Amino acid sequence: MRALIVDDSRTMRRIVRRIVEGCGFEAVEAGDGQAALDAIGAMDRPPDLALVDWNMPVMDGLEFVSRARAQPALRAMTIVMVTTESEQSQIVRALAAGAHEYVIKPFTADSMIDKLALLGLVPNGASL
Amino acid sequence: MSGIADSTLEPSDIDLKEIVDQVWESYLDPDGTAPLVLTGTVPEKFDATGSISITGPWHGHVVVATSLGAATGAAAAFLAMEPDEVSEEDVADALGELVNIIGGNVKSMLPPGCLLALPHVVVATGAVSRWPGATRICELCGQWRGEPVCISLWHEKREG
Repeated sequence: MRALIVDDSRTMRRIVRRIVEGCGFEAVEAGDGQAALDAIGAMDRPPDLALVDWNMPVMDGLEFVSRARAQPALRAMTIVMVTTESEQSQIVRALAAGAHEYVIKPFTADSMIDKLALLGLVPNGASL
Repeated sequence: MSGIADSTLEPSDIDLKEIVDQVWESYLDPDGTAPLVLTGTVPEKFDATGSISITGPWHGHVVVATSLGAATGAAAAFLAMEPDEVSEEDVADALGELVNIIGGNVKSMLPPGCLLALPHVVVATGAVSRWPGATRICELCGQWRGEPVCISLWHEKREG
């Protein structure tokens, strides 16, 4: 399983990387939405999971979700927004654009893993 | 309707403390052994400052100001590294993410429609962020691992 981590903060990318690698994913990082699309384009197969921040320079997370969902090859990719944007209207926008789940910062490793378990990407009860 | 014109809608010190506690519990003190101990004492100068602006119906700024030791400690905690392994770039990035998370959670307490900017970090002794006309409405100052940390929220009144 491959996870793409999209966040302009290297710190947050490393935090998320620790979690997903602990769950057995191969992790790939990108610093914004455009870099993420470029990274996907260079892959032999698309990621199974994308964990996407909202507020990023160049291309934000919502735009990335919309563009990814427009590509038939990426329709099976699970997208989780990982962001401080917690307004109900923002969550609705992200889900409407094609995100499957939403993790609000700050989060613990356990809460992130619980979300991945809900999505069937890790076994229930998994932990680091 | 007057939006945020009613100042009682603004976050309080208690609200800011709840947000900060969540951040500490998630990243900086997951074991509960190194909390931010509030003292109310504001140091004369800081070595690192992270700030983020909120715009829209409410306009203001969230600021995290620390010593270099606290900023380095925060980066090390975020990254699960030893403080002496942390680079200056790590310190700036971690401080930016810290203020981004706090700012995002502050925004969630403000009227709908506010936008969060990207964080701005300065690592330089004595550097301060100033916004003419902005009023400090919340401030938490204390010690974390024996190093000074101040987190503040500023409101900037704008006409129209």
